[in-house]
Amino acid sequence: MLTNKVLENLPFSIRRRLEPYIEAVQVMTETSNPKVLRAMAPSGIRGLILQRGKQGVPTKMPSHHETHFDWTYPNDQPEMRELYTRAKEQQWNGEDLPWDIDVDPENPEVPIIPPEFMSYDELRGMGIKLTELEQHRLNASVGAWMLSQFLHGEQGALFAAAQVTEAVQFFDGKLYGSTQVVDEGRHVEVFHRYLDTKLNKLYQINDNLFVIIDALIQDSRWDLKFLGMQIMVEGLALGAFGTLYQMTKEPLLKELLKKVIQDEARHVHYGVIALRDHFQNELSESEQREREDWAFEVALLMRNRFLSYEVYEEWFEHKITRKQWAHMVSHSPGFEIFRQVMFQRLVPNLREIGLLSDRIKPHYERVGLMQYFDGRSADHLSGDELIAELDAA
Amino acid sequence: MEGDRRRPPGKLDAAASLAARALPSFCTPFLDQARLDARMLLDRAGGKTPAPVIERLPSPTPLDEVDPLVLLPRRLADKVRTAHRDIAMLGGRLIFGKTPAPLIERPRPAPGAVVSLARKAPQMARTVKVVDVVRETADAVSIYLTEEDGSPIEFKPGQFLSVDVNVDGHKLRRAYSLANACLPGVPVHITVKRMADGRVSNHLNDTIQAGDTLSVLGPSGNFTVEPRSVNERHFVMLAGGSGITPIMSLLETVLHQEKRSKVTLIYGNRGWDDIIFRERLARLSVELGERLVIDHVLEKPPEAWSGGEGLLSDDVVLERLDALGIEDDGMLRYFVCGPTPMMEAVHEVLKRRGVDAARIAEERFTRPEDRHGGLGSDKIELVVISKSGSEHGVQVAPGQTILEAALAAGLDMPFSCAMGGCGACRVRQRSGDIQVEEPNCLSRSEKERGYILTCVGRPLAQSRIEVEGS
Repeated sequence: MLTNKVLENLPFSIRRRLEPYIEAVQVMTETSNPKVLRAMAPSGIRGLILQRGKQGVPTKMPSHHETHFDWTYPNDQPEMRELYTRAKEQQWNGEDLPWDIDVDPENPEVPIIPPEFMSYDELRGMGIKLTELEQHRLNASVGAWMLSQFLHGEQGALFAAAQVTEAVQFFDGKLYGSTQVVDEGRHVEVFHRYLDTKLNKLYQINDNLFVIIDALIQDSRWDLKFLGMQIMVEGLALGAFGTLYQMTKEPLLKELLKKVIQDEARHVHYGVIALRDHFQNELSESEQREREDWAFEVALLMRNRFLSYEVYEEWFEHKITRKQWAHMVSHSPGFEIFRQVMFQRLVPNLREIGLLSDRIKPHYERVGLMQYFDGRSADHLSGDELIAELDAA
Repeated sequence: MEGDRRRPPGKLDAAASLAARALPSFCTPFLDQARLDARMLLDRAGGKTPAPVIERLPSPTPLDEVDPLVLLPRRLADKVRTAHRDIAMLGGRLIFGKTPAPLIERPRPAPGAVVSLARKAPQMARTVKVVDVVRETADAVSIYLTEEDGSPIEFKPGQFLSVDVNVDGHKLRRAYSLANACLPGVPVHITVKRMADGRVSNHLNDTIQAGDTLSVLGPSGNFTVEPRSVNERHFVMLAGGSGITPIMSLLETVLHQEKRSKVTLIYGNRGWDDIIFRERLARLSVELGERLVIDHVLEKPPEAWSGGEGLLSDDVVLERLDALGIEDDGMLRYFVCGPTPMMEAVHEVLKRRGVDAARIAEERFTRPEDRHGGLGSDKIELVVISKSGSEHGVQVAPGQTILEAALAAGLDMPFSCAMGGCGACRVRQRSGDIQVEEPNCLSRSEKERGYILTCVGRPLAQSRIEVEGS
């Protein structure tokens, strides 16, 4: 609070420089579990302070996990074997999407995201009046930003899926994991092709997304990688893709997302079955607590900080403060739906793997996420059911 | 010639580079020379003599390009580089208020870059339904069509459809004009006259029946008129043989919509029984009275024939115009469609009469097999297409047209008839060498300004084109 007051009294140019760092420190000090802080802090520094994802060079992240071999090739997890079979049968080719559709991201007749996504009234209140054309362009930018983050997330998922395939101790899980690696590669392919050839725009990775990817790629514990990748990031992706699938009027993107969502549904299902027994039977109480807190922190990070700051930096950095932007975005109708769908998917999965104990429930209650507690978890939802649910909504 | 061979920088170069960065700039030339000297001495001491041939002598890396971190072990050097970037990022943001660019700079496809590869045969044509077939003469058949869902085909009077027909395993494309009045409720049809050796026209005359489907593109073409009820115009239309088909659509539409306009039709045929739409024209003539004057000219007239005789050569055309009392008042509009010799004769006569070319509309059809100059390169060529501010590289296979390759690569290209007849696919050639089948609908001035048609254009070398107005 004190820092906020100090910030408000600083000249705009100084404030603009300090705001991101103060925000980064706030994120880290809000973490109450010291073990979680210790695990996340280095990633927080690399992502939020040093902005390693935006330095213009490839990022190198060391990995610390063990590769688990089994020379007896056991049939150890029938549910995973079943997922593996399903994954093989449902493979698709990115080339077969209707790439001949001509996409004009600024065409208000076929918008990437609906015109009411952002709250233009609030922007007007801050003294920013946009013409209709500028509104279409801003909307197209937010659409390109979301898709750019999906692409960066998919790159993270590609490498994390490969790591998880090495680290997991179930042999059926390894076989299934191999299909997920292919899925993620295909997702990178189609999102990149869409951004590159249709929207002609690619945003840098969001610092908060970088923190999550950095944390789980560098963590040596396989179950934390699983939790981070299969439950949190994939859960987030599933929610985000679902929202965009519902909202977009652009037929190529809709078709692309439909295909991707059906893959993602399998990925989260895998995470749930791999972690359910492990969390409930194999972990000590403090380890369990740490995972619970870790998941909560990451959920918060995704809820509060995924606010398209890169679009702000492109459009409004010299006109309004980061805080004003954050307020506008987090109250805009589009992002509210976005968050709602995201947590509607995520919270039931956390319940299913046992990370919503009575101890942590009040925290979720406080941030308004317990309303999603009774939803269906990923192991009870197929890709087709998900699409049907989205189409019906 | 190995022009750009460089000797990789060693520790000596790195030390000199470090010193050059630390010392004032006037020291740099001395340091640069000193490192070269030292290197030479060390080489000689190690038994290595300089290469006697200049071309084989690797050039030293310029001092300002030598990274002094080469002095450190690789892992440590990487750490120092990362730290350097971290500090630059922090300093840039805190001290200079510089935000990292929110967008990732992506190279735009350079000329020569291949973004899209042709993968699938393009879906250009659509299917229409044959709902009725009516024999007009012994050698001509009218084929009534609707869209696949039963709705009427929309077109402008005088336009044509490109029809794809498979004959003996070969896909052949022909243009057939829509021959009915362009009025609500009037069934839409094309009329196909049997040509000597005409593979498609004979095939259609012999086999087509109601319930069949046809694969078509279009309608296309600018041989048309915009009827307005307030107009009072006089059209002179000259048709030879199956050239009546677009003319029929034009005259019926105009005379029904412009109640004060009139049409004089000079219509040449071989004999009385070869006249397509003979009855229909006769009925119209009765219905419209003096607003429609029909002058049949027959090459082999029946006995007691009192009308025009002979082929529509320049003499005959001139004679008929005079016989009909047509004086050009500078307002008449002419529509001409028929075999090439007739078109040329009419063109010549009208020119002699001083008719401005802008008042003459002509429609020529040539069979693709009769065109020339269109094979293109015998190897795959790259065509870079600029469209809506982006550039796309497309690989065009031997024999493929630029349009086919671009559509197969997923580009949305303008086109309509896909046989060089309508100009919808006109683009401007910016560089390279593109061969376009002749004849086609481009005017001489369009060709001079660098326009080509992608539907009948094939590259002979790497080329660059621009889709205008997109």
